[in-house]
Amino acid sequence: MSAQFTDVGSDVPPAFRTVGAHVAYDGVPVLDGVSIDIPVGQTMAVLGPNGSGKSTLMRAMLGIVPLTSGQVLVHGVPLRRFRSWRRIGYVPQRLTAGGAVPATVREIVASGQVAARRRLSFATRADRAAVEEALETVGLADRARDSVRELSGGQQQRVLIARALAGRPDTFVMDEPMAGVDAENQRALAGTIARLRDLGATVVLVLHELGPLEDVIERAVVLESGRVAHDGSAPEPTGECARPGHEHQHPHPDPNDPARAATETAPANLIRLEVPGRD
Amino acid sequence: MTELLQYEFMRRALVAAVLVGLVAPIIGTYLVQRRLALLGDGIGHVALTGVALGLLTSTSPVLTAAVVATAGAVLIEIVRVRTRTSGDVALALLFYGGIAGGVLLIGLTPGASNATLVSYLFGSVSTVEEADLWVVGVLAAGVVGVVAVFGRELFVLCQDEEVARAHGLPVRFLSVLLAVTAALTVVIAMRVVGVLMVSALMIVPVAAAQQLTKSFRVTMLLAVAIGLLSSLGGLTTSFYADLSPGATIVLLALAVYGAAVAAGGVLRRASGARSPRAHGPGAGVPAGTMPQTDRGRVKP
Repeated sequence: MSAQFTDVGSDVPPAFRTVGAHVAYDGVPVLDGVSIDIPVGQTMAVLGPNGSGKSTLMRAMLGIVPLTSGQVLVHGVPLRRFRSWRRIGYVPQRLTAGGAVPATVREIVASGQVAARRRLSFATRADRAAVEEALETVGLADRARDSVRELSGGQQQRVLIARALAGRPDTFVMDEPMAGVDAENQRALAGTIARLRDLGATVVLVLHELGPLEDVIERAVVLESGRVAHDGSAPEPTGECARPGHEHQHPHPDPNDPARAATETAPANLIRLEVPGRD
Repeated sequence: MTELLQYEFMRRALVAAVLVGLVAPIIGTYLVQRRLALLGDGIGHVALTGVALGLLTSTSPVLTAAVVATAGAVLIEIVRVRTRTSGDVALALLFYGGIAGGVLLIGLTPGASNATLVSYLFGSVSTVEEADLWVVGVLAAGVVGVVAVFGRELFVLCQDEEVARAHGLPVRFLSVLLAVTAALTVVIAMRVVGVLMVSALMIVPVAAAQQLTKSFRVTMLLAVAIGLLSSLGGLTTSFYADLSPGATIVLLALAVYGAAVAAGGVLRRASGARSPRAHGPGAGVPAGTMPQTDRGRVKP
């Protein structure tokens, strides 16, 4: 029934593999040869300054923007031939969750099952249970019958997350899910993501800052000008560095170092990464 | 009312009005959600070229209009996606091309003049023939069928195209399907209200309904009710008061819209006074036709 949480064997292909992914908008390169593997079950953050290509990488991984060259494989299948879309839960970066016609929170959340349900079928008990569970997970069960327009920005963001949960996918892709969500709900969402990780889900997040997700993130990829500038353990901001709007310093391997691939744990030098504060 | 039904032409007109009142708001709900409210108008203008082609070639104008309008709908999707033309500019191109093509072809038709076009511009529900009714009936069934099968996917597409892609939905196919379905709806409504007002029956009932609703499904159902009320009420009124049927139908729908705006305001004030929830940032803000104003907070 559910695509969720298949057993991870030793020969399971990575949830996402990008091979020399290039993306250009109107001839301007945004992704400049990104090759990463994201193994099944990993919780990974994509970090980087504005314009570094982190959202584009995520959109390219899902085929929302086309590659100019390179390849994306999703669960071992080239994107073009990938059909198991019910395994994917996508949370877009949006200010609002609604269209121009009113829609209730439940309607939006239930629409997340579109890839999992057949045409001309009614919602099964399991479908409805999944919607209720998603609503409870983000703490909006009591708002299910309200129009999304009546919700605050942070609540609408949680609706989008619940929509991704409702299809019971095992692979999540979230584009700044914490944007506009207040501190208390950020902690609640971090708990949700930790729970997904514990259940064996793959979670890829584009983030501005690690914030309350710091303890959940297993791996951080930092993009700079469309290239991978750091790939390894999550940078750990402490004290003054944890304040938004400052400059981070992250260890990363020297790109010219021939032993680069093996240096994940031994940073060769430091790069400066600006993490703009949210206004 | 019984007097109305004694006339053969009125019986046919009423059937046509029911089909239009039923089908137009259904597809209109998706168009409004996708912010393509004027797509119906653009396709209506193209349908005029189809009508003229039918008159020129002595085939059923409704049939040729359906074919040409469908081609126009596919064309607009291609123009929107493949060229650097935004949706509204692509629509404008369609408006001009459709009208110009219609006038040009009518000029080539022996025995027809621009006056022939007028019945299609403003509708002539009283001249609906039985053959028209069959075409309209089949098209209406087709539109309802498309929504029944693809409704869930169309909802996601119209809500957020990017999310539709991330669900692996066939976005291009669904976009064309929606445009073609809108084109068929236009042709259905053309005989009743005319191509100039064709999209009024797709959009106005939806605009009225969403003043009063919270859910997509209820909006669609209420819009259909308003569409049926307007088309049947307008047609009956025009029969007794000797008015233009198309114009009466559209004005009645607009009157319902006005009443819905007023009623919606009263309802929201009433529920705002009672509901403890209404102290949030969105409280008391009318959920009108401009919903995308962000009332959320970014900071805690």
